[in-house]
Amino acid sequence: MKRIPIALFALALSLAPLAAPSSRKETSATTPAVSASDADTMRVKGEQRFRANCGRCHAAPQKFPPRAMATVLRHMRVRATLTDEDMRLVLFYMTQ
Amino acid sequence: MFSFCNFEGLRRKWQRVLPRLLAVVLLQCFAPPRAITQTAPSEKPVPILSGTAGFLTYVNGGQTLLDTQVNPVILVPLGEKWLVESRGEFEGRFQHQPSGSFGGPVDKHLDYLQADYIANPYVTVTAGRFLTPFGIFNERLYPEWIRALQPDPLILPISTASSDGAMLRGGFPVSAAADVNYAAYVSVTSIGVNGVESERHVGGRAGIFLPGPRLEVGASWQKVLQDDRKNAFGVHMAWQPKAVPLSMHSEFARSNQGSGYWIEGAYRLSQLRVLAREMRHTELVVRQQQFFSGNISSDAAQSLGLPAANASETDFGVNYFLKDGLKVAGSYGRQLSSAGNFNQWTVGMVYRFLVPLGRGDSQ
Repeated sequence: MKRIPIALFALALSLAPLAAPSSRKETSATTPAVSASDADTMRVKGEQRFRANCGRCHAAPQKFPPRAMATVLRHMRVRATLTDEDMRLVLFYMTQ
Repeated sequence: MFSFCNFEGLRRKWQRVLPRLLAVVLLQCFAPPRAITQTAPSEKPVPILSGTAGFLTYVNGGQTLLDTQVNPVILVPLGEKWLVESRGEFEGRFQHQPSGSFGGPVDKHLDYLQADYIANPYVTVTAGRFLTPFGIFNERLYPEWIRALQPDPLILPISTASSDGAMLRGGFPVSAAADVNYAAYVSVTSIGVNGVESERHVGGRAGIFLPGPRLEVGASWQKVLQDDRKNAFGVHMAWQPKAVPLSMHSEFARSNQGSGYWIEGAYRLSQLRVLAREMRHTELVVRQQQFFSGNISSDAAQSLGLPAANASETDFGVNYFLKDGLKVAGSYGRQLSSAGNFNQWTVGMVYRFLVPLGRGDSQ
């Protein structure tokens, strides 16, 4: 019987991708493909996400080289349990 | 209400279904994601060496302690979905010796060495030694360059020792106005001489973050799977109001080792017009905390890093950010305890470094 809560938790995890609203998971940080207006929008959103998520723990750091920043964001995605979209938008903001 | 027979039937049914369910979950975790592009080609991550170096002077009840710390962090991304990360801690704690000079132990240990696999946008699988996700201070606020006050909260030792095992964690939006984050782990940590003894525990943390008001609340739980199978519980909060440059954090923890809370506010003086340039780099901090002894001896509590008796402490601090990653920190606090009252002064400097171990710019 003790396994039931674990199984339910695992089931919830596995179903989470189906439950999440699609409008919030289609953003991409693929820089070459976005137009200038899209880039501006993503930059603004990225700054908002940065302030909302990263600002919970620390002040804004300087902008590091893009490939270093990509590593930092992957680390922070794990450490601070950032959502996939937050990571992409913040990465876009911090590397543009 | 289930009868005993129904209960047994349900249990047998779950025993049949559980392996299939776990198989589905594992397939979900390791299946190719539907819409994930980790990074653009120009942002291919590169290994980096980062971390914190700090030199702090503590004066606790008239006794001076020189604390020198270096906490290197190594991050090695592998492919699109893997990250190997580690943090070491080298700390010298030097006090005035009877001979007249300063001396003391130099501790070194591994805070974490973990491999992370980003299975999909919602699940990351972690294995190795990791920081125990109990509350938020241990995982998020511990580094000296991040914490607003250099002295640890009194309740920090509760259920936050590093864990050795596996963990599932992640975050995902549940609506346009809320994100959920979670972590669940199993640990078998070797302790004692040559690691002969071990402590097994399970636990987890879940939180909900509201981007609108910038408010996060969550709860943690840990259960020891041996001896008296004790539970520990925690609640945390983080809030950054948009109107003012204020950052609030708070934790509450309850366990057989003790209970307590801390609440801290850090206010950046960026809205002041007098000496605006200097004020923009200045942060004022205040923290109130209390600790209540648990069901362990005072010696055992002290060996864990907890106060020996009930204690209440108020701290005031100021941070001045000389430049990005470099700050001067000072604080004063007074602890009131049945074991004795004392003042605690802290002053020092902290530096955060980051060095790409490879070409850091775009390719």
